[in-house]
Amino acid sequence: MTGESIKGIVARLRIEHTFAYGPAVALAALPRRDEHSREHLDNAARHARPVVLAGERVLAVSGPLGARLPGGGVRRGTVVAVDGDPGAGATGIAFQLAAAATAAGEWAAAVELGAGLGGLAAGEAGVELDRFAVVRRVPPARWAAVVAALLDGISVVLAEVPAYARTGDARRLLARARERGAVLVAMGPWPAEAALRLQAAGSEWRGLGVGEGALAHGDRRVHVDGRGVAPRERFAALARAG
Amino acid sequence: MPVRTACLWCPDWPVVALRARDPALRDAPVAVVERTERGLVVVATSSEAAAEGVTLGLRRREAEARCPGLAVVEADQQVEARAFERVARAIETFTPRFVLEEPGRVTFPTRGPSRYFGGDTAMAVHCLDAVGAVGVTDGRVGVADGGFAATLAARTAEPGAAYVVPAEESPGFLAPWPVAVLDDPEHPDDALGDLLVRLGLRTLGAFAALPEGAVLGRFGSAGARAHRLARGMDEPTAPPAPPPPELVETAELDPPAVHVETAAFAAKGLAERLLARLGGFGLTCSRVTIEAETERGERLTRCWRHEGALTPAALAARVRWQLEGWLTGDDTTGGDGSVDEGSVGELATSGLMLLRLVPDEVLPATGRQLGFWGGDAVAADRAGRVLARVQGMLGHPAVVTAVPQGGRTPRERVRWVPWGDPRDPARPLGAVAAPGANAREVPPWPGAIPAPAPARVFDPPSAAELLDAAGEAVTVSGRGDPSAPPARVRCAALPGSGGEVAAWAGPWAHDARWWDRRARTRRAYWQVLVAVPDGGRVACLVAVTAGRAELEAIYDCLDALKSGARARPCARPGRAAPRPAIPRACPRVARRTAPPRHEGARTRRRRRPPRSGAARARRARSVGRNGRPRTGARRGRRAGRTAASPTTPSGRGCPYTSPAAAQGPRRTP
Repeated sequence: MTGESIKGIVARLRIEHTFAYGPAVALAALPRRDEHSREHLDNAARHARPVVLAGERVLAVSGPLGARLPGGGVRRGTVVAVDGDPGAGATGIAFQLAAAATAAGEWAAAVELGAGLGGLAAGEAGVELDRFAVVRRVPPARWAAVVAALLDGISVVLAEVPAYARTGDARRLLARARERGAVLVAMGPWPAEAALRLQAAGSEWRGLGVGEGALAHGDRRVHVDGRGVAPRERFAALARAG
Repeated sequence: MPVRTACLWCPDWPVVALRARDPALRDAPVAVVERTERGLVVVATSSEAAAEGVTLGLRRREAEARCPGLAVVEADQQVEARAFERVARAIETFTPRFVLEEPGRVTFPTRGPSRYFGGDTAMAVHCLDAVGAVGVTDGRVGVADGGFAATLAARTAEPGAAYVVPAEESPGFLAPWPVAVLDDPEHPDDALGDLLVRLGLRTLGAFAALPEGAVLGRFGSAGARAHRLARGMDEPTAPPAPPPPELVETAELDPPAVHVETAAFAAKGLAERLLARLGGFGLTCSRVTIEAETERGERLTRCWRHEGALTPAALAARVRWQLEGWLTGDDTTGGDGSVDEGSVGELATSGLMLLRLVPDEVLPATGRQLGFWGGDAVAADRAGRVLARVQGMLGHPAVVTAVPQGGRTPRERVRWVPWGDPRDPARPLGAVAAPGANAREVPPWPGAIPAPAPARVFDPPSAAELLDAAGEAVTVSGRGDPSAPPARVRCAALPGSGGEVAAWAGPWAHDARWWDRRARTRRAYWQVLVAVPDGGRVACLVAVTAGRAELEAIYDCLDALKSGARARPCARPGRAAPRPAIPRACPRVARRTAPPRHEGARTRRRRRPPRSGAARARRARSVGRNGRPRTGARRGRRAGRTAASPTTPSGRGCPYTSPAAAQGPRRTP
């Protein structure tokens, strides 16, 4: 072995075996690679790292909806705009995003304006109801203040956006969500930028006949749009799993 | 030396209390009875009844025989105690240290009040005036050395007057009384008076003359105690407890606080002082009322509750949020007083002058157990703070969480509980009985609208129109038959204000709470798939009540149900879906829903509602135990009775009997 090649090996080993002591002279002389220690060290390094990459701060969403979202979930600190006519499935999508938070042991809250949210449907979507608060009877002038207050301590905030919401307020909420690492799910016409836009485009219901049966289940159509979404996946029909 | 004591006695207090509750008793002779081992025994009488010879200790039947027209009422100590509360309040105006011996009798040491009013007589007159002011005119006051002598002095006094035994003369006053007064009516077993009479000691004076040691040796400690009473040496009792500590913390703000910071700074000290004082008593506080007064005399109050015990920091934070809500309400929210009914006014219009913290719910401090792993506690704490803060902005009932509970419609099946209140369902959940629980105790909810649950529930329901092909409103008859199949739904809450009906199921008739005439509602539910103008389909739940349609809920499709909720098998597209189990029980048959047992059991036991014609017919048609038809006599009797009393659609009978079922008995061979 030439002197140069040994130098090269040492340099490489220093990178690989950061925990090896003393100058490494030869590969055979080194202790064997300890996978367990390495994993331990990697974990410690990840926790000590000052910077967390955006891609790692994702709230995983389960089910077919999660499979359609970039990265399998929603990034914390962003705004997700969910829109759709009543009955098209927007509320169901919002519930599933709230369920993602409660499944992770975190909290979710909703700000409702008009028609009441169905508590049972939230439970069926997987939301832990004791960690899901609903704020009702919000006066118009305090809507932004209430949503901002909720973003302070709650991971996923579902907010129905009133027609009078101003772009300035929306931008402030966006900044607040980014600062606090919370997900703001805006239900309705969101007047500012959003990292992800989900458009509920109706459902195909089954089980209901003409004068017989009962509503059973169905398939929904959801447009997914936003950063990180492949163009051809933009229009996806979600089949019910199982 | 016994303490000089006054006793206020209101004779026949049970009668007074019951007459105050029930004005019909005012003019009648009344006897209050109590259940003892001898049966119902008179324990108090009104003066009219006493004049007729109704005495205490009589049995009820004998009392009624002596005084025809006697109103006999069972004693209710709660009513008595509650009625005596106003008398106690009147006494509280001049002495705080009093002891409620029983409803109708209160004793208090006279030292302070007598010196203030200038003597026992003047004090007694003042006491009678104070009690007379609250409507008790026949009270009597006795003043003597010791509570026992004072009680007897009150019994000597004329109605509405006082009897004062001069100081040091109590033994002389007691001497002529019979020994029976020593007996405690609560403990008739160790009655000493009877024994003393048989020994020839008829008066307290004769008993008091015995040497103390001999009495102790012969009658034991109970006898020695009675002996002390007879000598006018009142038993040494614990002095009346001082009044309960005043736990309210108040801070006056001078100059008045206009800025949150100023008031919050004062509130911080206030919160620390309050909890330090409570801690001194070994107490902690889980609910606190924050009160503030403004320069213009407005009073703002709001109650805060905390799951565990409040810490000074948590309490100070809550006070701060509340002050923010009061002082810095946004310019435009001024008129919004409807947010919280509990608050007097939503916003302060001027600076705060006074801040007060009233502990509302005080518990013994047992410490707080934190979760072993921490973990969730941090997130829960943060969320709790945020939600409490929103409650401070909008009012306590504005932040709610859902609690699933029993019920039939989506609206009934969820109870929204304000954040911080206990999450208990109002109605028990049906169907899921705990393994060890008695399954019969859990009421089922037959006829409940089947899953999936709707994502939007309108409360109150939104007005709608359910029309048939001819444009007429679809109605449901009392027998649960629709007038025509629905063809159109119109509702402002639907996109495009509704449209044609693409598919439908129903009507599922609900006759809820049929046993309660006032709360009874008869409703028919339809699940309707509406083709809205932009090409989509919206599934919704429509209720028809008395010919009026309302949109109750809108469904949203959920593709990922939780494993527990995915009970129904999934059909492949293109194949007819299996009919779900629950609606099969109720479609078109329009049966009445059974009352939940916990609500209806009582009514049922007392007055069983008539069995519906359908059920009767089913019974008549059914076969006997061994496979053969029932015996002719039995069947004939049943059929005959059915025919003799046809069901009445107007009454409680059965509005939902189908004609075929009613004809059952006649078709039996």
